[in-house]
Amino acid sequence: MKEGKEEIELIKEGKRLDGRGFDELRPIKIEVGVLKRADGSCYFELGDNKVIAAVYGPREMHPRHAQDAKMAVVKFRYNMAPFSVDDRKRPGPDRRSVEISKVSREALDPVIMREYYPKTAIDVYVEILQSDAGTRTAGINAASIALADAGIPMKDLVSSVAVGKIDGEIVLDLNAIEDNHGEADMPVAMVARTNTITLLQMDGRLEREEFERGLKLAMGACHQIYELQRAALIDRYSESVDVGEGEA
Amino acid sequence: MYKVVVPGDFISEAASRAGEGTYVEDGKVYAMRYGIVDERGGIKVVPLSGKYVPAEGDVVIGRIAEISFPFWIVDIASPYEARLHMSEFADTRDEKIEFGSMSRFLDLDELIVAKVTNVDVVMRVDLALKEDFNLRSGGRLIEIPHTKVPRVIGRSGSMVKMLKEKCNCFIFIAKNGRIWVRGREDNMNLATEAILKIASESHTSGLTDRVADFLDSLKREKGRR
Amino acid sequence: MGLEIVDDIRKDYVRDLIESGKRVDGRGFREYREINVEKDVIKRAEGSARVRIGNTDVLVGVKLEPGAPFPDAPGEGVIITNAEFVPLASPEFESGPPDENSVQLARVVDRGIRGSEAIDLAKLCIEEGEKVWMVFIDIHILDNDGNLVDAAALGAIASLLNIRIPNERYGLTGEDTLPMRDTPVAVTTVEIEGNILVDPDFNEENAAASRLTVISNADGTLSGMQKSGSGGLKEEEIAEMVEIGIEKGGEIREKFL
Repeated sequence: MKEGKEEIELIKEGKRLDGRGFDELRPIKIEVGVLKRADGSCYFELGDNKVIAAVYGPREMHPRHAQDAKMAVVKFRYNMAPFSVDDRKRPGPDRRSVEISKVSREALDPVIMREYYPKTAIDVYVEILQSDAGTRTAGINAASIALADAGIPMKDLVSSVAVGKIDGEIVLDLNAIEDNHGEADMPVAMVARTNTITLLQMDGRLEREEFERGLKLAMGACHQIYELQRAALIDRYSESVDVGEGEA
Repeated sequence: MYKVVVPGDFISEAASRAGEGTYVEDGKVYAMRYGIVDERGGIKVVPLSGKYVPAEGDVVIGRIAEISFPFWIVDIASPYEARLHMSEFADTRDEKIEFGSMSRFLDLDELIVAKVTNVDVVMRVDLALKEDFNLRSGGRLIEIPHTKVPRVIGRSGSMVKMLKEKCNCFIFIAKNGRIWVRGREDNMNLATEAILKIASESHTSGLTDRVADFLDSLKREKGRR
Repeated sequence: MGLEIVDDIRKDYVRDLIESGKRVDGRGFREYREINVEKDVIKRAEGSARVRIGNTDVLVGVKLEPGAPFPDAPGEGVIITNAEFVPLASPEFESGPPDENSVQLARVVDRGIRGSEAIDLAKLCIEEGEKVWMVFIDIHILDNDGNLVDAAALGAIASLLNIRIPNERYGLTGEDTLPMRDTPVAVTTVEIEGNILVDPDFNEENAAASRLTVISNADGTLSGMQKSGSGGLKEEEIAEMVEIGIEKGGEIREKFL
């Protein structure tokens, strides 16, 4: 992917092709509770990425032999719509989506208090409707909000972003052109409150110092994303709020 | 006015007061649910959504989902099924229930009111019939998220009292979000609309008054027609 | 159920020992099990290696076949990496389509080779836009006693270093060898109770919440990384894991490649 492609200048006069600075995120838009049938859902835009996440459950786990007697089993399905990319993607899971599903689930596992729902399944479905690099990070951000929206007990939200290297510079949140012609890509997910990394992948080539600088850049951006995720959930109930009382 | 929190939000330093919907880490109380902070009594987070998990003593409305001698398997609007032992009937009748004849007593899809008598560590849920309720004599089942049940009841039962008076219906609210309404058809329609309105606006304040006004206007509209 | 309880006891045992500074097999936290690399073990393959790390036993075979290039890279060869968790290697493995663990293993090994640009893909071009060499790297697990990634990655690069290009078989002429430009080495560490351990065995893998594979190159740069497992890692822990990755990677490279 990285080599042999025609050379493109990705940084001109200190700015990236889309005008961003090195440490600048793409615009983010978040909507909570967008699906009626799901127990929790979230629509997430990151630049030109359009992603929707749905959570079903906790619900009965099938097949039964896959149940965990002590905790809920989290299942995560990352799926790209065939029309989400320039060259139509063949529908269904491929090796890339199998891997992304696995690491995304593991990025969320540390915050989900699975012990509250033994024997059940929590299904997380992420659909990529439009892709412009960084879809797994957008999917994790959306899924984390959808889990909260579904009322799943969690210790925290999870926030995610990628960093990478283009034209020799470490930059935040690569778009598709940058990803295709860049030298390295590194998706990160983090629990903002505790600065705990829950997803870390890297491909391409980085100096150790560049890696460390990139990780710091991603961690800082995760804090920004966390604030947006939190605000999206809070704003949904911004009108005056009340609790009831009483016993059934 | 109450505060909305998301999982991981810091709520308080008073770890000893931490209650449902919260967790304690390094002596501090954090939210573990997306919900509303309630500091009356202990510190609780009342979730805005989520699935019903049965607890001993809950009264639920169940639906017979399966018959598996000597149990009826009961759907209780939860990730967990419950079971009702055949002796629940055999005890009260002289007749012996034979294998294959359980459906004569309770058939598939029948609704029951039952009390959760036991939930074990592997989430096996046992029920006992509440004989004082008979859902066979007519009425309507309304299902709402169980998290909205406290609002339908209201402070000290104020909401449900108002509903019963204005709709002239028998209303029974079970812990698992299932509500039984019995009355004249038009009155049941009124109650249904009111309950669904409460469920969808459960997070707002002044709800009892608003629902009362809503019911009054529905009744006036009907009077005019 | 019975198996599960045994697993839990074993996990606790592994954790308790580690908290007191020991590993079950007596190794230091930064010590690998004995590594053994045998090259050219399969006559039919264009390159092969059997790597044993302790009881973990992995066989990698590389086959080359002419094929069509990808339209967006008409002058480049193609690398295809696959891992098969055959049922003979572990009671957990089942036959059937590759599960997420085997997919991940293959993709991480692939990422290291690609990221380091160890193979000069342009040298694998036979006829631009028409015919290139397809390099199939197949990872066969024979015995899974943990840390398959490091064994598989080492097997892959060891196989590639001794590739004979099968020109004759396909009626072609050209170089018979494929000079490698780098030697990426994967080093996996786990975090258990705040301690970082290199080369986890099967029980340690199960006891650990998080695992990080760091792939480093001859010049100390990084060409791949993958966190797996249901836990989280602190920045300092990651820094330590990267440091171990580069250091141990250098030692392995020196000794076996």
